[in-house]
Amino acid sequence: MLEVLGSPFMQKAFIAGILVSLLTGLISVFIVLRKMSFVGAGISHAAFGGVAIGFFAGVNPLLTAIVYSIMVAIGIESTGRKGRISEDVSIGIFYSVSMALGVALVSLSGSYNVDLFGYLFGNILAISQTDILMTVVTFVFVSGFMLIFLKDLFLASYNEELAQVSGVHVVLLNKLFMIALAVTIVISIRIVGIILVSALLVIPGATARLFAKGLLSMLVLSCLTGVISVVSGLFLAYEYDIAPGASIVIASAFIFFLSLLLKKKR
Amino acid sequence: MSVAINIRDLSVSIKGKDILKNINISLEEGHFLGIVGPNGGGKTTLVKTILGLIKPNTGEVSIFGSSPETLRSGSGFFGYLPQHQNIDPNFPASALDIVLMGRYGKAGFLRWPGQNDREKAMDCMSMMGIEGIKGTQYSQLSGGQQQRVSIARALAGEPRILVLDEPSTGIDVVGQDDFYHLLKGLQKRMNLTILMVSHDIGTVTTYVDEISCLNINLYYHGNPLGALNDKVVTSLYGKNFDLLMHTDVCDKCERLRP
Repeated sequence: MLEVLGSPFMQKAFIAGILVSLLTGLISVFIVLRKMSFVGAGISHAAFGGVAIGFFAGVNPLLTAIVYSIMVAIGIESTGRKGRISEDVSIGIFYSVSMALGVALVSLSGSYNVDLFGYLFGNILAISQTDILMTVVTFVFVSGFMLIFLKDLFLASYNEELAQVSGVHVVLLNKLFMIALAVTIVISIRIVGIILVSALLVIPGATARLFAKGLLSMLVLSCLTGVISVVSGLFLAYEYDIAPGASIVIASAFIFFLSLLLKKKR
Repeated sequence: MSVAINIRDLSVSIKGKDILKNINISLEEGHFLGIVGPNGGGKTTLVKTILGLIKPNTGEVSIFGSSPETLRSGSGFFGYLPQHQNIDPNFPASALDIVLMGRYGKAGFLRWPGQNDREKAMDCMSMMGIEGIKGTQYSQLSGGQQQRVSIARALAGEPRILVLDEPSTGIDVVGQDDFYHLLKGLQKRMNLTILMVSHDIGTVTTYVDEISCLNINLYYHGNPLGALNDKVVTSLYGKNFDLLMHTDVCDKCERLRP
């Protein structure tokens, strides 16, 4: 079993996977507290449009996906805030249009030979040195942002108006959070894929919430759930040649349901 | 004494509907103002405009000569209890954690509340009679206890202006009198300026220094007893309104109308 750690591509997968699971673990706490799971699913599906732009233009699809997803995330945030269209409607529109754009561009570029399946469900073999570098940079920026604004994010999750009255710039904070979310989603695509990344944004936080008594314990439990899911999922993916997205999500769902049972018994 | 709140020619409309029209109110520091009026009369909109959460269409609000937005970015200027808090019932925090949130502004950027903040928070919990539940999860508290925790949170930041939107929701009638007495005490001790929204004109008049009667327009502002006349009460609540008044003037409740 442990010989998997000897292979260079699995080492890369584990490094990227653990960093991604820590990031999604942190973000997941606030996705759950702020009831934003549909936002996460929406942005991750929309990222497909960004990936396809990269295919079409012949540049690194993750880079185009980052730019595109940030634009969609900011779009969702501002339509939700202005309140003319409700947020769930705007997410529904953004993500279906982006998926359509993605499919159209992929068809036009005739690049069905590219690893579309890998982008949709993750591909451990595809993780390059550049991807690792991008993951490390994202990890530093996003976890830095989360730690600096942890108190503000917690207060805004409790009640946005109170946060505003206490001097938190809530609009800016929400925008930054959406950018952090978009970048984290795109960086997770190599490991879990576009379709399944939203599970990593919801399940760790939801599992942690079952037991957490405070913010700190919720953050720790959420990251722990994420890391265990990703590590065990990567082992399963290697062992049984499954797309890693699927094995990771199945592992995290297993932990969630086990936790639910434990919680009920207590 | 300086003017704490000065509202001039304030009008607010939301989606084309007038919520507040031409409001002028001035309140001195250390005074206790009751804002009364019917549901939909603009009470909550008025306090949110004072807090800078809603921008006025015309007119202006100044708090000690500055805009509310400027003051908010300072530390813990306002203590605020919203009417509907919409708090997630399973929010992962103890009662003390919630009260400590009132100290976040005071703690400052990148700093979490420390020992001194905990002591202040505990003092406020004792004042509200809830020191015994400090470790209890917020989700396990009753509605009344949650309300007391929220009031303790609003007080914990040692605000200069305390804004309470329907604070007696969830607090039993016996507790209400104690609570209003507590507010009076804080007002005197800390020279605290208090704004309290209530739909209960009868009870509020006993405790406040000034009253604003609001139903889109401001029908009355001044001494609370002056508000209790037919004209004002009819403007607020319409005819066929039965007012029960609780004051020191009478031993028992006196039926003013009809």
